[in-house]
Amino acid sequence: MNPWTDRHWFLLAVLAYGAATLWSVFLWRRGFRRHDWINYTILAVGFLFHTWALLRRGMSLQHCPVRNLFEATAFVGWSLMVAYLVFGLWPRMRFLGVLVAPLQLALGVFALMPALDTPSGPIVQTDRVLESLHAATALLAYGAFGLGAVAAGLYLVQAHDLKLRKLRAVMALLPPIERLERVARRLAQTGWLLLGLSLALGSRLTPPPGTYFAGDPKVVWSALLWIGYATLLVWHWRGLSSRRFAWGLVGVFAFVLLTFWWTNLLSPLHHP
Amino acid sequence: MNEPVHLQGGTSQILVMGLSHRTAPVAVRERVAFAEPRIPAALQTLREAHIAEEAVILSTCNRVEIYVATRLPADLAFQDLEEFLGRCHDYRDPLTDHLYRFTEPRSVEHLFRVACGLDSMVLGETEILGQLKDAYELARRRGFTGPRLNKAFQKAFHVAKQVRTETLIQRGSTSVANVAVELAERLFSSLRPCTVLVIGAGDTSEKVARALVSRGAGRLWVTNRTHERAEALAASLGGQAIRFEEWPTAFAQIDIVISSTASPTPLLDRARLERWMRHRSRRPLLLIDIAVPRDIDTSVNELDDVYLYNVDDLQAIADDYVRQRQAEVARCESLIREKVRAFLQPPQRPAPPGDPAPSHA
Repeated sequence: MNPWTDRHWFLLAVLAYGAATLWSVFLWRRGFRRHDWINYTILAVGFLFHTWALLRRGMSLQHCPVRNLFEATAFVGWSLMVAYLVFGLWPRMRFLGVLVAPLQLALGVFALMPALDTPSGPIVQTDRVLESLHAATALLAYGAFGLGAVAAGLYLVQAHDLKLRKLRAVMALLPPIERLERVARRLAQTGWLLLGLSLALGSRLTPPPGTYFAGDPKVVWSALLWIGYATLLVWHWRGLSSRRFAWGLVGVFAFVLLTFWWTNLLSPLHHP
Repeated sequence: MNEPVHLQGGTSQILVMGLSHRTAPVAVRERVAFAEPRIPAALQTLREAHIAEEAVILSTCNRVEIYVATRLPADLAFQDLEEFLGRCHDYRDPLTDHLYRFTEPRSVEHLFRVACGLDSMVLGETEILGQLKDAYELARRRGFTGPRLNKAFQKAFHVAKQVRTETLIQRGSTSVANVAVELAERLFSSLRPCTVLVIGAGDTSEKVARALVSRGAGRLWVTNRTHERAEALAASLGGQAIRFEEWPTAFAQIDIVISSTASPTPLLDRARLERWMRHRSRRPLLLIDIAVPRDIDTSVNELDDVYLYNVDDLQAIADDYVRQRQAEVARCESLIREKVRAFLQPPQRPAPPGDPAPSHA
C-alpha cells in the first residue's frame, strides 16, 4: 500500500511555499531586485505537489475535491497559484510572488489542521460534472479576487510612497501604479465573471432534500459578494478614485477570507 | 622623443597614461584631446615608434587616456608616451603635473574603474562604457589591439556589466530632469500615450520636457503668456503651442504638467483641480512645479490620483541617489580588486601525470 496520501503531497507543497516565503523575506529586504525567478521556481515546484495532491484526492473521490474545508482551502490556494503562475510568465509581474508565497503558506497551514478534513457526506447530486464546475469556477473566482487584492495592496503601498515623495517609490521595481491598478481591476472583473458563472451553474443544480436556495447563508453571501464587486467595479468606472477602489478590493477580499468558512459551515445546502 | 628602443623579451605589460577631469582643467584637456579621425594615425605612430605593441586611445570631454601593452620598461614607456602626446598636439607646456601613469595592477584596475563609471564626473554614469567600447572597437578593427588588451578590455566590459547588476552604483538619476522622467515612469505604464503640458518657458522646464520627449512621451503642448515664446519652445521640442487662456479647457487630456511661470499667485489650486479631476477617468496626474514662487498650491497633493513634486523634491531625490551611489563605491571597488587579481593571476598549468603533489612543507 502506498503510504503517501494526498495530504502528504499537500504537506510537501506547503513546505515549498514555506521555502518561498523565506526567500520572499530576503527579497523584501533586498527590495525585489534580484533572483525573483528563484521565487517563481520554488512556487512552481510547490504548485506541482499541490496539483498532484488535489488530483489524487479528486480521483479517489471521483469528483472535484471541494467538499470540505481542507479541500476548499486547498482549491482556493491552487486557483490563486494558477493565476500567479500565468501572470508570472510576464517578468514584470513576477514580483507578486513575494506576497503570494506567505499567503499560500498561511492557507496551506490552515488547510492542514486535522479537524478541517472531515469525511464528505454522501454525494446526493446526480450531476457531478455540473456540481464540480460550479465549485471550481467559484474557487477560481476567489483566486482571482485574492490576486487582485494583492495587486491592489501593492498599488496602495506604491501610491503612498509616491504621495510622500519617498525615494523608495522611485527606486522600487514594482510596476507603475497605472499598471497595478489595471491588473487589480482586470482580476476583479475576471473574478466577478467567474463568480457569476458559478452562481448560474449552481442555480441549475437540484438542492438536496430539505434544503432550499432561498435564504441559504452561502447563497445569500455569494450573491452579496457578487453585488459588492459589481458595485465596486461600476463605481470605479463612474469615477471612484483608484486609491479608494484599491482599498475596496483589499477590504472585500478581507471580508471573503474572514467569512468564507463560516458561511460554508452554516449552509445546509453545502452541508446537507 | 627617444630613439626607437628594441623591445625587451618576456611578456608585455599593460600601462595606462592619461589625464582627466580630476587632474587637468578643461583648458588642458581640450588641447590634448584626439578627434576620432586622428586616432588611427596616432595608434600607428605608437606602433611604428616601438612604444607599444598594442594600444587604445580613449578621448572624451572628461578624459584622454592611452592604454598600451608594451615590453618597454615602464619609466621609458611613460616618457615616450608623454612626448608622443605633446608632439601629437603641438603642446609644449609641461604635462607632467596633469598626467597619471599606472603600471600593473593599477593600470588594469583603472581600466575597470573607468568602465564602471567610478572615475566619472557623475559617479556611476554609463556613457563612459559606450565611449570605452567605441575606442576599443576602433583600435581592434584596425589591428592595434592584441591578446593582452583584447582580454583586458573584454574583461572590463564584463566587470562593468557585473557591477551594474550586482550593485546600486548605476541606479537612479542624478539630474532633476531625469528624476522627473523616472517619476513619470513610476506612474504611467508607458509614456507614449501621455500628454505633457509645459506652462511657462523656463530653462529647467525645457530640460524636463526634453527628457520626457526623449523617453517617448507622445504629445507635448507648450503654453506661455507670450505666445511667441511658447511657439519657439514647442518648435524646438517638436510639440505644439497652445494659447495661455486655452490650457484649462484642455486639462482633461493632460497627464503630466510642468509648470514654471513667474506668476506671483498659484495657477492651480485645490478647488479648481478637484473640479477638473472629475473629467479625468481615474488616470494619475503628475504635477511638476519648478516655479519660484510656486505655481501649484501644495494642498492639491492631498487629492486622489494627483502627485505633486516641486523642484526641491526632485533635487532631494537626485541627492539621495548621489549619496546612495557614493555608499556603493566600496562594494564596487572590492569587486573590481577581486577581478583584477583573477585577471592578472597566471593560468595554472595542469601537473604532468605522475608528478608528485607540491609540498607545502
